Amino acid sequence: MPRDQYARQSLGSTYRLVKESRVLLVGAGGIGCELLKNLVLTGFGEIHIIDLDTIDLSNLNRQFLFRQEHIKKPKALVAKEVAQKFNPGVKLIAHHANIKDRQFNLEWFAGFNIVFNALDNMDARRHVNKMCLAVDVPLIESGTTGFKGQVQVIKKDKTACYDCTAKTTPISYPVCTIRSTPSQPIHCIVWAKSYLLPELFGVSEDEPTELDHSGDTDNVEEIEKLRQEAQALKKIRESMGSDDFAKHVFDKVFKEDIERLVNMEDMWKDKKPPEPLSYETLEQEASSINSSIKLDGQRIWSPAENFIVFKDSLSRLSHRLAEEQSKASKTAQPLPTITFDKDDDDTMDFVAATGNLRAIIFGIETKSSFDIKQMAGNIIPAIATTNAMVAGLCVMQAFKVLRGEFTRTRWLWLWNGSLRTDQLEKPNPECPVCSVAMGRVHVDLEKATLNDLVQDVLRTRLGYGEELTVLTDAGIVYDPDLEDNLEKKLTDLDIEDASFILVKDEEDDNPRIDLRLAIEAKKPTDQSKPVALVEKEGETLDIPRRPTKEDAPNGGDVDGDDANGSVVTNGFSIAPPTVKRKRDLVDDDAASGTPAKKLQGPVAAEVAKNSALNAIVIDEDDGTLLIADDD
Amino acid sequence: MNGEHSLPDGSLPIENTNEVPQPAVNDPNAPNFIPFIPAVGNGFVPIPDPNFTNMTLPLNGVPSQMDAMAPTQTISADEIALYDRQIRLWGMQVQQRLRQANILLIGMRGLGNEIAKNLVLAGIGTLTVLDHELVTGEDLGVQFLVTEAHIGQNRAEAALPELQKLNPRVELYTDADDIKEKLPEYFHSFDITIATGLPVDVLCNINMACRAYGRKFYAADTHGMYGFIFADLCLHDFVVEKPRSNRPSKIGDMETPTRSVTAVDSKRENQTITDIIAYHETYTPLRLANLSPLPARSRNTRRSKMRVTPLLSCLRALFDFQSQSGGHLPVIRRPADLAMFTRLANQKHLELELLPETLRADFLRSFLQNLGAEISPVVAYLGGYLAQDVINVLGQKEAPLQNFLLFDGEDFTATQYSLHPINDDAMAMMNTNGLPMMPGPVPAEGPVTVT
Repeated sequence: MPRDQYARQSLGSTYRLVKESRVLLVGAGGIGCELLKNLVLTGFGEIHIIDLDTIDLSNLNRQFLFRQEHIKKPKALVAKEVAQKFNPGVKLIAHHANIKDRQFNLEWFAGFNIVFNALDNMDARRHVNKMCLAVDVPLIESGTTGFKGQVQVIKKDKTACYDCTAKTTPISYPVCTIRSTPSQPIHCIVWAKSYLLPELFGVSEDEPTELDHSGDTDNVEEIEKLRQEAQALKKIRESMGSDDFAKHVFDKVFKEDIERLVNMEDMWKDKKPPEPLSYETLEQEASSINSSIKLDGQRIWSPAENFIVFKDSLSRLSHRLAEEQSKASKTAQPLPTITFDKDDDDTMDFVAATGNLRAIIFGIETKSSFDIKQMAGNIIPAIATTNAMVAGLCVMQAFKVLRGEFTRTRWLWLWNGSLRTDQLEKPNPECPVCSVAMGRVHVDLEKATLNDLVQDVLRTRLGYGEELTVLTDAGIVYDPDLEDNLEKKLTDLDIEDASFILVKDEEDDNPRIDLRLAIEAKKPTDQSKPVALVEKEGETLDIPRRPTKEDAPNGGDVDGDDANGSVVTNGFSIAPPTVKRKRDLVDDDAASGTPAKKLQGPVAAEVAKNSALNAIVIDEDDGTLLIADDD
Repeated sequence: MNGEHSLPDGSLPIENTNEVPQPAVNDPNAPNFIPFIPAVGNGFVPIPDPNFTNMTLPLNGVPSQMDAMAPTQTISADEIALYDRQIRLWGMQVQQRLRQANILLIGMRGLGNEIAKNLVLAGIGTLTVLDHELVTGEDLGVQFLVTEAHIGQNRAEAALPELQKLNPRVELYTDADDIKEKLPEYFHSFDITIATGLPVDVLCNINMACRAYGRKFYAADTHGMYGFIFADLCLHDFVVEKPRSNRPSKIGDMETPTRSVTAVDSKRENQTITDIIAYHETYTPLRLANLSPLPARSRNTRRSKMRVTPLLSCLRALFDFQSQSGGHLPVIRRPADLAMFTRLANQKHLELELLPETLRADFLRSFLQNLGAEISPVVAYLGGYLAQDVINVLGQKEAPLQNFLLFDGEDFTATQYSLHPINDDAMAMMNTNGLPMMPGPVPAEGPVTVT
C-alpha cells in the first residue's frame, strides 16, 4: 500500500489540505527537528525551513537530525538533507538565514498557509508574530523548557497574539550588590562575568545589562569609590603579559578592594565581614597539587584548585588577547576583545574560578563549574521527549487550522507529563501589536517621500485630518509640529521594504484606533502615485474609531477565569537583543488544574526577584519558557 | 573544563560493560513460573489462568537489577558535554542509571520508531528491538528509520543502522523472532519491556512473564488520532523533589490508594527549601487492570463521569473484540464486525458505570475510522511520553504513569486513569476508620487463596 495510506485513512478530507499546503517552519532546533520530521512524514506539500544557527555538540542529545559529522554545519541545510529522505514526495526548501532579513518580506510570508514558530528567543518570535498578523497567516507558536512546554495558535482577530500577554524583562542586580555586598553565588558569578572579565579583556564602556543602576543615586559615595577601583584595575591591565600580572590582579580584587570594604564598618554591623585572600598562601597550598590534571567540572573545587584555574585561565586569556591584538594591528582592525561565551572554556574557567574565589571571601557557598556554566550562560535544560510531544501537538493543531476550525484549537501546556488545555484567549484590546488596524502599502522606494504617504494615503485616501503622528521603530517622523521630514524620501527615514510604520490619529473628536502600515517595495500600478494602499478585491480598509471610555469593553473575562496567562510585566518594553523570552510559571498546583496563575504588579516583581537563581535559564537552541519553580 | 568537544570517530569503544541481552535459553535458576503457552492460530493466546488464583502474584518477585544497581563507572567528559542539556534537568545519577539500563522494545512500527529514537538519544545502555514483520509501503508514512529501499526487509533490522547513528554509544540488538514464540525466560534479562502493536492477550502474557522476574512492563498502541499507554511496574520506588509544602508529607502517608511515602528529607538552597520525598508505588497487571472499575473520584458525580473519555470503553471493547476474533481488528466494511464492536463498547461503557450519552455515535465512527492507522504527530506524542516515563522510572525520579494513559488527538486530551481491582471507596473508609491499610491492591475478582 502507498505511504500515505494511513494519513488518508485517519485524516479523511483533511489530508488533501495537508498535501496542498505550503508551510513555513522557523527554527531547526529541538522542536524544529521534531516538527520537520512530523510535517515531512505526514505529507505537507511544501515546507520551508529557516535557521541561522550552526550545529553544536550539545544539540545532539535531542536534535536528532544532526550527528557528530554535522557539527558546525548550518542547521537548516542539514535538517533539509536528512529529513528529505523521510519522504521524497514533499518539497523542502532550506534557508540558512535570519528570519528578520528583509528578503523575507510580507509578500513572502503571505505565501504560506501556516507558519510554525520553533524559536529560542523573544525578538524573533515577536517579529514572526507581527509579520503573520500583517498578512493574516495563522501562526502556531511553541516552546519548551525541561519537562514543560506549550503550544499556542495565533490567528488575527480570533485569538490572542504573542504580544497580547506581557513578557517579563530580564533580571538585573543592583550595582552595589554585585560590587560590594554579594550574598548569593549568582552575585559572585555576575561579578566575574559582567565586571571582572570585561574590565580585563573587554571594552569597559559596554555596560552589561545585568547591572541595575537605578539605586546609584542613593549610594553616591560608594559608587565613586567603585569607579576609582575600576580605574585602578585598568592600570593593572596594562601589565598584561608580564610575569606578575596574575599577582597584580589577584592582590587588587581579592585583597586590596576587600580590605577597603572591610574598613567600611557600617556595612558589616549585621553580617560577617569579607576576608581578603592571600596570594602567597594559596600559591603555597597549590604547589602540592598536580596542576596538570584536568579538574572535574562536576566537583566543587578547593580554594587552591580555584587559584590554579584562575592563574591558568588568566594566562590563557592574556595570550589569546595578545595574539589577536598583534594580528589586528597588522591589518589595522579595531582592537580585539574577549567577551564571555559559555562554550569558550577559557572564559568559562575564568568566571568559575574568580566567582568562587570571591564567594570564599564573602563566606558564600561555592559551586561546581558545571553549575556555574548554567548560571552564567543562561542555559535551560532541554530534552528530546518534551520537544517530540510539543512538536506532535503543533501538527495536530495544524490539522484544525487547515480546516479553519479555530474554535477547536487550544492553548496546550505540557506540565511534567500531563497535558493541560485551555481555551485560547481572545485578542487583548489593549495589545500594542494586534489591537491596531493593519494595512499594507506598495511603495516606489526610488521616488516616494513622506509627503506622498501622509497626503496621498493617510489624508486623501483614508480621510485622516490634520492631527496625526507617524512613527517608525526609531520614533516620531511626522506630526503637525514636525514637518521637516515631509519632503524627505522614505528611505532617508529608514522606511524600507518589510518595515512597519505606526499611524496615530490625534484628533480630539472620535479618533481612529492606531494603524500599522506594512511597507512593501513594489511600484504601484498608478505611476503618478509612488505610495498606494493595498486592498483586496472588493474590500476596503476600514479603520475603526477608538472606543470611548463609557462603552469600552471590560477587558473580556480578565477577572473571570485566569487560567491562561502566566506572564509578567511590561511586555512591550524594548529589550536588548541578547534577551531571550522568559516566563515565570509559578505555583504548580495539580488540584487547581491550571498550570499557572497570572501575576501582576508587586507580586510579579516579587516572584521575579525571588526566582532569580532558578530563573535565568534561557536556551540557545529550543523554544523557551523561562520557568521559576519556587514560589 | 570539559575538554574539547569531540567524540572519537568511527568505531567507538563502548565504555560501559552492560550485560549483553541473554539468549532465550532455559534458565535453571529462574523462579517457578506458569508455563507460557505459545500462540495458537492467529495470535490468540489463551490466558493461563484468568483468575490468577494459582499464580504466585510476584509482587515481590525478584528484585529488579535496578534496585541493586549502583553507579559503578563515572561518565566521561565527552559524555557530559553530549548529554549536557539533559544532565542539567535530571542530574548525573539518573544519567548513570540510564547508561546501565537494558531495555526490550517490541514492535518497530511508527510508535516503536519514536520510542527507540528517544531512548537512544537519552543514552540508555542497551536496547533490543524486536519485530518479526517486514517493512511495507504504508510504514514509510510514519517511520523515519527506514526508506523505500527497505520494503520487504525485517522491520527491526532495517531500522537498526539509522537508529545507531542517533547515538553511537548505545548498544543495539535486533531480534526478528515472533514475540509470541518467546519463552518467559526471555524477558528476564531486560530491566523494562515495552510492547507495542500487540493484541491484549499477547500483552497480558508478556506482562506476566515480566512480573515473574520482577521486571517492569509497558504496553502501548495507537490508532490514528488515538492511543494508549499502560504501565505495570510491579513495585516501584522513586523520589520527587518539590518546593516545601504547607502540609508536609509524613512517612506512611497514603497519597493515593497505590502510593505511600517511605522517606522524607529536605534541602535548603539560599532561601528556598525543597522537600525530597521517597514514594513506593504498587501496580496491577494488565489483565486485572482491564477488569477494574474507575477510581471513585472519576465516577462519584455525574460531572466527573461526563469527563471520562469514551476512549476507555472503546479500547476495552477493542481488546475483547480481538480476543474473540483471533487478534484481528474490526473491519469497517463488515457489518457484523461493526455490530459486535458497538455492542462491546456499550457493554464496557455500562460496566464502567458511565453515562450512555458520553458514548456518541460520532465518536465510535471516528474511532473505527482510525483503527490500525498510525500518524506521525500522534506517535510522536505517545513515543515521547512513554520514553520519558521509562527514563524517569530508570532514574527512579518523578512520579511514573499509574497505570493507563488515554490519548485523544482530536480533543487534545491525554488523561491518566488509575485502574486497580481494589475498590478505593472501601480503602478510603478504612483509612478514615484508622484500620490498617492494605499494602497494595489485591485481585477483587473471585476468591484469592494465598498458599
